[in-house]
Amino acid sequence: MTAITPKPARYGMAIDLDRCTGCGACMIACAVENNVPPARPEATPRTGITWMRVYQISNGASFPDTRAAFIPILCQQCGKDTPCAAVCPQEAVETDPATGIVDQMPQRCLGCRYCMAACPYHARYFNWWDPQWPAGMEKTLNPDVATRMRGVVEKCNFCHGRLHAARSRAAAEGRRELHPGEYVPACVEACPAAAIVFGDLDDPASEVARLARDGQSFRILEKLGTEPKIYYHTARPWVRQAAAQQRPASEPPERRLRAGLPAPQGSGQKDPSHA
Amino acid sequence: MPKVDSQLMPRGVRRSTPRQFLLWILPWCALLAFGLYGAGLCLVKGLNQTNMDNRFAFGLWIFVDLTVIALGAGAFFTGFLLYILKKRELKAVINSAVVIGFICYSGAVAALLVDVGQPARFWFTFWHPNVHSMLTEVTFCISCYLTVLFIEYIPIVLKNRKLRQVPSFLVFEFELHKLMPVLAGVGTFLSFFHQGSLGGLYGVLRGRPFAFREGFAIWPSTFFLFILSAAAAGPAFILLTTWLVSKISGKPLVRPEVLPLLGRISGILLVPYILLKSIDTLVWIDSTSPARGFAAYQYYAWKPFGPWILFAEIVAFGLLPALILLRRRLRESPAWLLSAATLVCLGIALNRFVFTIQTLALPTLPFDPFMSYLPSWQETATFLAVVAYGVLLYSFSFRYLTLFPQEKDLSC
Amino acid sequence: MLSHVIFLGLFYTVLAVLSATVALSLFRAAQDFRVRRAEAICWQATFPDLPARERVCRHEFTGEFAHRTCDKAFDCRECQTHAALVAERPPDAAPLSREAHQGEIFGLEFPLDRYYHRGHAWAHPQPDGTVTVGLDALGARLVAEPDAIELPAVGSHIQTNGAAWHVRKRGADVRILSPLDGEVVGTSDSQNGWYLKVKPDGGQLDARPLLRGAEIRPWIAREMERLQSALAPAGQAPTMADGGVPVDDIAASYPDADWDAVCSEIFLQP
Repeated sequence: MTAITPKPARYGMAIDLDRCTGCGACMIACAVENNVPPARPEATPRTGITWMRVYQISNGASFPDTRAAFIPILCQQCGKDTPCAAVCPQEAVETDPATGIVDQMPQRCLGCRYCMAACPYHARYFNWWDPQWPAGMEKTLNPDVATRMRGVVEKCNFCHGRLHAARSRAAAEGRRELHPGEYVPACVEACPAAAIVFGDLDDPASEVARLARDGQSFRILEKLGTEPKIYYHTARPWVRQAAAQQRPASEPPERRLRAGLPAPQGSGQKDPSHA
Repeated sequence: MPKVDSQLMPRGVRRSTPRQFLLWILPWCALLAFGLYGAGLCLVKGLNQTNMDNRFAFGLWIFVDLTVIALGAGAFFTGFLLYILKKRELKAVINSAVVIGFICYSGAVAALLVDVGQPARFWFTFWHPNVHSMLTEVTFCISCYLTVLFIEYIPIVLKNRKLRQVPSFLVFEFELHKLMPVLAGVGTFLSFFHQGSLGGLYGVLRGRPFAFREGFAIWPSTFFLFILSAAAAGPAFILLTTWLVSKISGKPLVRPEVLPLLGRISGILLVPYILLKSIDTLVWIDSTSPARGFAAYQYYAWKPFGPWILFAEIVAFGLLPALILLRRRLRESPAWLLSAATLVCLGIALNRFVFTIQTLALPTLPFDPFMSYLPSWQETATFLAVVAYGVLLYSFSFRYLTLFPQEKDLSC
Repeated sequence: MLSHVIFLGLFYTVLAVLSATVALSLFRAAQDFRVRRAEAICWQATFPDLPARERVCRHEFTGEFAHRTCDKAFDCRECQTHAALVAERPPDAAPLSREAHQGEIFGLEFPLDRYYHRGHAWAHPQPDGTVTVGLDALGARLVAEPDAIELPAVGSHIQTNGAAWHVRKRGADVRILSPLDGEVVGTSDSQNGWYLKVKPDGGQLDARPLLRGAEIRPWIAREMERLQSALAPAGQAPTMADGGVPVDDIAASYPDADWDAVCSEIFLQP
């Protein structure tokens, strides 16, 4: 498309859990940007499509010491032994070496859902229904993003379309590099608390790289060794324990409280379809 | 009394009257119709007709597929023992084993075509294969093996009383039969790989420490354990089905020493399986799972999947039937033999269940709850359609083809 | 890339082996027809489907073996054991008796001047070098007054253990096995006592696979036992008393029997 080779980058995010208010604007912006179909009336939190999904946790204490926190989960763009890419039988998942983005090709997807079983972050979503937009709502479709069909898997791709658009603009101006902030995914743009920082992790001067190096930053399920590129930052120890700890909420409540962990969840996940 | 279709039946054996046969197949036809309706709904309206969701991406169908493929392993293993190791006694059941294998694999493939979101894209795996994926391996091997089973089914059909009167059919059958060891060898090779890869499907899941295992080169330990368990389950399943068919048809079909022989083969294979599975479980509890941040005891804190499930799989459905099947006196008693064979098959089903359903039920994210899943009626109907198809195909094969060559000798 | 090559290479190799197997079988089958081995192969292919009691070796009749099943589809020409046993016995200068009638076996006449095939056809060498082929007494009783007979055309070729002619009687549809290789030079209905007149291949009848002389009696004794079992209603023990003589038309005496099964049993049709 352009004769200018863009400079390689390793895109990642740092999400400040102390700023996230759980408003869900990121979820809505994501759905609008990426032409996610409105959920059917029969859809449940387990069958709805939410490339970006905000989880709610609490510290398990009783009033007035109850505290809540919100954790946005999206595709972690695993950098090493990417579980979904390794298992797809049709090679419908590709990691772009120039950006580090794990891309999903719905046109090649068979719908076997093996990648969904493989993903520990549950960041992949299946089209259980034919996508349908009520009359008139098709005007809200983003023309730069292809819609998907029934029976295929889809997930966050860091708004890849926006990257292409930014690169085209840069190439038209003869630049190899993008200005900071020239390419941001929809969720980053929409967050009113500016909780999500996006950028090139390989650029030591970038904000996201600085946050990633910060001592209060962690990654979820780090011990699985998949090298996710989403860093979470919090100053609150209980939030860190709840999110970074690899202990499922199976233990009896007393034990969890002693360990400073939140009580087992009837998880209050945010779902735009029921907003 | 000549029956309407007696010209199509093998000589020298008794079969039920056409009316009795019709009464037998009608309910299965009804079940098949109902099941096809359920499957049709899933194909037409989409997979929202099932109770699978983004957390339970695999459900009843995958569990059933893995189980029937493991049970259908009798086809390749009996073929291996008969044509490669020359254990002539197994001639008594090889035809039945091939038909059962064909039913299991064709049924599994049919269920898979309903299970995937875009069945018309099935050929994508062949055109863009990901050679590092276990599922690619499974797809290729199962397709090839189904072809092998089909080629092995043809001679049985060509030997039908009416068809064998066509000389070219008989001569072709004769020549094909001379090359049966080649087919048996290819079948064994393919089965080794796909039975193993079905285990590998779960063993490679780094994101699911419950299922993930270390192994040898690219193959996790589950690869080898699945092969062994399938080889042990195959003869046990043939034993059970032969006995069942004998009971339903009311005739002796094999000489009395054949079933205990199958039981003994099963028992002999169970021993290394139990041993290796126990070692594998201990290694997993001790190092593999904790290294990934999950202590093994946590998995069994979720009801109903308590530690009893481990005990059931390894001891009750593994060690116990192995001990029974290795003792000649117990093998010769039908009650002990059949109970042990049933336990073996249940153990394999439980093992497949643990890997397909329990793996997905257990949470990975620290703030996630335990998930539960029950199949919808459409899913159950599709599964029952496969069962009905199997019973019908086997019934017709039993009536018109020689599935049990010793039946003629025993019918005097 | 290497893993790609190995994986796809294995897959294509498997496909190639499978295709080659099927193709080779088809090719060999076509060749069998071309060299006229098809009939013999049809017999060889179906012989193992006969029940074990129908595949007893002739040397069990003469007491040389206590228990032996034929593994050469009754083609004693191919059998090394038979050749060895025949070599041990002093060669018989006149294997056939000159007298046509000698002794009855169970009330049936088995002339000893001819050779008998296990499928109850006999071969009688004639002075002019041809061989007449007919149905023995037991066979004749089973398909007496047949509903239809289909004889081969004059000039056609029959093979040992191949089909000589077809007979239909009351639901039974059997082919009578040929006792020799040769060209059919004449056919007849049973009036002449024979059905076919055959010019044997090689000018002379190869009687190695055929029974003669002292083998007849023990063979027919067993055949009678098998016939009794086949005639008994399913599940019951045979009830024919010893010393009974088969009537001229056994079929008429057993209206309830599955005649096709009985004839298949005796005429060795799997």
